Amino acid sequence: MSFADVAGSDVFVWSMIVGIGIATFLIRFAPLALLARLDLPEWLRQALRYVPPAVMAAIIAPPLFFVGGAPTIGPELPRVAAAALATVVAWRTRSTWLTVVLGMLALWGLRALVG
Amino acid sequence: MPQVPSTRVEFIAGLRAFAPLSMSILPFGMVCGAAASTAGMTFAQALAMSWVIFAGSAQIAATQLYAGGAPLLVILATATIINLRFLMYGASLAPHFGTLDRRRQALIAYLLTDQAYALTVVRCAQTTDRRNLHWFYFGLAGATWLCWQIATIVGVLLGSLVPANWSLDFIVPLTFIAMLVPLLADRAMALAAVAGGTASVLLVLPLRLNLIAAALIGVGAGLTANRLGKRA
Repeated sequence: MSFADVAGSDVFVWSMIVGIGIATFLIRFAPLALLARLDLPEWLRQALRYVPPAVMAAIIAPPLFFVGGAPTIGPELPRVAAAALATVVAWRTRSTWLTVVLGMLALWGLRALVG
Repeated sequence: MPQVPSTRVEFIAGLRAFAPLSMSILPFGMVCGAAASTAGMTFAQALAMSWVIFAGSAQIAATQLYAGGAPLLVILATATIINLRFLMYGASLAPHFGTLDRRRQALIAYLLTDQAYALTVVRCAQTTDRRNLHWFYFGLAGATWLCWQIATIVGVLLGSLVPANWSLDFIVPLTFIAMLVPLLADRAMALAAVAGGTASVLLVLPLRLNLIAAALIGVGAGLTANRLGKRA
């Protein structure tokens, strides 16, 4: 790896961090500073409500179907099964810790059984 | 004399409100730290992700896009779209915090999270005198911030020690499942999730624009479901 590569990737990462940081701060600050009396239009308020579920699902789904960044022929079954079990655990317990711990144990257990 | 909750009472109430949150913020923060370090970021960079950005979903998305070789502009656009929801939170809190001085508003803005917003709204409904509500917020959001930074450091330190075949990357979808499931009780929210998840897998887009496209499709599905539900 040449020096240029290292410097390049370093600049890339810092630009990414600072860029997202500034954008995020402005998004958080603008309504507080400017909207003390105003309100967001109703359609925008409605649309923003659906950002969290849509984004979370879009972060959850790909790792169940693409392993190591490359598409697999089908879903990776132990991951899909472990995720399904974690969903039930999350629904019943509403506990992040239990969901993570039981989900990981399920993945390891299923891997041991299959492979 | 009118009973105004003292700043100290409000601050401690905020800390109390935070306590149960630590159970979800600790693992999520650790995942963010571990993901950043396994994606090849330095210790300083992984920590800066958490104190400069301080928004978990955007941090995870940015880290994954970075690891996948996405262009800088796509990463910035994706993180911005994910964080647009803070516009709604800010607008909702503005009537309470709009009269504070700019410096305090800036601090409130920097510390704004899903959890701090949700619990401040709850507190708001419980109290009649809200003159010191910002102290409740500072207790709650300040503790959240501290917990997040500590969790990130632990995640960075532990993440590099764990062998790859333990598949700890799977903790990312698991923590998001734990956050998503409570939202699914609302039918339109559930539809937004199903549409977003499906689109993220099926869409093959250049430049790793999948996440943005999936988010927009999910939002569209949620809005449509909400409109149809009202009409029925």
